[in-house]
Amino acid sequence: MSTPAIEIRDLEKRFIVKQGLFGTPRHVRAVDGVTLSIPTGATLGIVGESGCGKSTLARLILGLLPASAGSVLVEGQDLSRLDRRARARLIQPVFQDPFSSLNPRRSIGDIVAMPLVAQGVAGRETRSRVAEMLEQVGISPDMASRYPAQLSGGQRQRIAIARALVLRPRILLCDEPTSALDVSVQSQILNLLADLRRSLNLTTIFISHNLAVVEHIADTVAVMYLGRIVEEAQAQALFATPRHPYTRALLASVLTPEPGLGVPDVGLGDVLPDPSNIPPGCRFHPRCPVAIARCSLQTPPRVDGAECHLLSA
Amino acid sequence: MSLLEIEGLEVTFGQGEGRVAAVRGASFSLARGETHCIVGESGCGKSVTSLAIMGLLARGATRQAKRMEFDGRDISRLTEREMSRLRGHRIAMIFQEPMTSLNPAYTIGSQMAEVRTRHLGGTKQAALDRAAELLGRVGITAPGMRLGQFPHQLSGGLRQRVMIAMALMNDPELLIADEPTTALDVTIQAQILRLLAQLQAELGLGLLLITHDLGVVARVAHRVSVMYAGEVVENAATADLFAAPRHPYTRGLLECLPIPGKVAPGAPLGSIPGMVPKLTPGFTGCGFRSRCSLARAECAAPVALRGAPHLYRCVVDA
Repeated sequence: MSTPAIEIRDLEKRFIVKQGLFGTPRHVRAVDGVTLSIPTGATLGIVGESGCGKSTLARLILGLLPASAGSVLVEGQDLSRLDRRARARLIQPVFQDPFSSLNPRRSIGDIVAMPLVAQGVAGRETRSRVAEMLEQVGISPDMASRYPAQLSGGQRQRIAIARALVLRPRILLCDEPTSALDVSVQSQILNLLADLRRSLNLTTIFISHNLAVVEHIADTVAVMYLGRIVEEAQAQALFATPRHPYTRALLASVLTPEPGLGVPDVGLGDVLPDPSNIPPGCRFHPRCPVAIARCSLQTPPRVDGAECHLLSA
Repeated sequence: MSLLEIEGLEVTFGQGEGRVAAVRGASFSLARGETHCIVGESGCGKSVTSLAIMGLLARGATRQAKRMEFDGRDISRLTEREMSRLRGHRIAMIFQEPMTSLNPAYTIGSQMAEVRTRHLGGTKQAALDRAAELLGRVGITAPGMRLGQFPHQLSGGLRQRVMIAMALMNDPELLIADEPTTALDVTIQAQILRLLAQLQAELGLGLLLITHDLGVVARVAHRVSVMYAGEVVENAATADLFAAPRHPYTRGLLECLPIPGKVAPGAPLGSIPGMVPKLTPGFTGCGFRSRCSLARAECAAPVALRGAPHLYRCVVDA
């Protein structure tokens, strides 16, 4: 089997959090033992609620945060051993908010050219590559002299994608790329990402809280809960037969536009996950509708991609 | 008789050249015990519509309406003093961001109690008892303890439950909720919407729910108004709207959604080309015509709603 495009091994991030001025410092494990790998050209969706660590995971993968343990390998190269420039040629991000992720004082041509300039690509080549890239994301190169404020949200997100892809990276990491957009614009950006992915043979990590979007775009899906991947499976299998009780609850809470079904009872109770106070045993057990005694005592084993005691019995 | 009757609501912002028409003749009505959703994308005028009903528009906005009645009473000509007697009492509102709509410097208890004593008088203790009862009702455990806490000590889901409980303090007849679950996780969203639907049925509330989420609309609304560029372009019973959308915009919007089971994974999604037009005061006619594949010359003239009871604002027969 060929090497995967990206391999994440036992990635871990601990933050030290102090409660109050004289409080004792506590460790928060925002990301705890995450192992994932994605074959070239595939898309991995990462889903989970706020506070589950998905954005921290994104920042670790991008090298914007140093990991406490573990490693990220892109085509066999350990990202932590590379400098920023080399890393930027391999992996690039697209963030949620196209209003704050673009410098308002730079023209869009400059914004898209910036990664090339940082890599030392010379003037004329920069211009032609920027023009080509803008065309690929559906923005006319004539618009290169405009500023972000003159663009709509969807156009800005296209610019963010152009900036991410202008270096032809191997991996594109999208952190909630359509969450700030209207439905009609979201569909355009999703279509664009699908086209680019096909034409550039891109490997994509797609982080989102929107399960319908992830189901549409991802080949495999990882479900994150309090820092851990509690289930990972092929997208079709995961959505058809979710195995972890948390995945089941998450899927049950999706409100598809089908009238007459009412609002489902997801059965999660009132306890909310607190990353600074991770429960012992299975971390989902305080909210789990089917928890048994063992769940609060032992860490569940991983069986066929899902971490749950009930699956191993 | 309907609880809320809005006809020909118009809101403009700014003056002279820079004037923008945010709402251009919106009409809809809401009965007791009914949930009516206003759905649309950003800038369509849905939030402005709700603020206009509440009399909470920013300074510099002008509001006009042919009819604006709450429980048979004209509310378009009420003074600020008269309106503030209705607000928080017979008409209550829940906003999107529970963190910014709660005062961080006061406890949950004192904010909730104030809503009661201000409108209905009575002792603070009686108001606190009522607050505790309502917190229990919205599914908050240990309400007594929560009353003494500050907003920052609660999670987003809990804060939104507090907002709902606070809105119910004076037994309102009409509840206006502007994107009440947009800032929340899907699991919490489902819990909050379920709660709202239960309370609404139990208390016979009229619920006007503003949202951009067609999934929410499908699951909670009895009737829907789709807004685009300041106009209600379609108004129908929820089942009818989703089964046979009549306005080209509504149809386009539904095709943009990746609906599992309807759209194959990876297949291209529908999209609506172009952008929302600038609604300067001279703008007339269908706001969607520049993006519509069915547009004709007559779309530039004002288009009337037709096809009752499944109303739509389009010259092309659906």
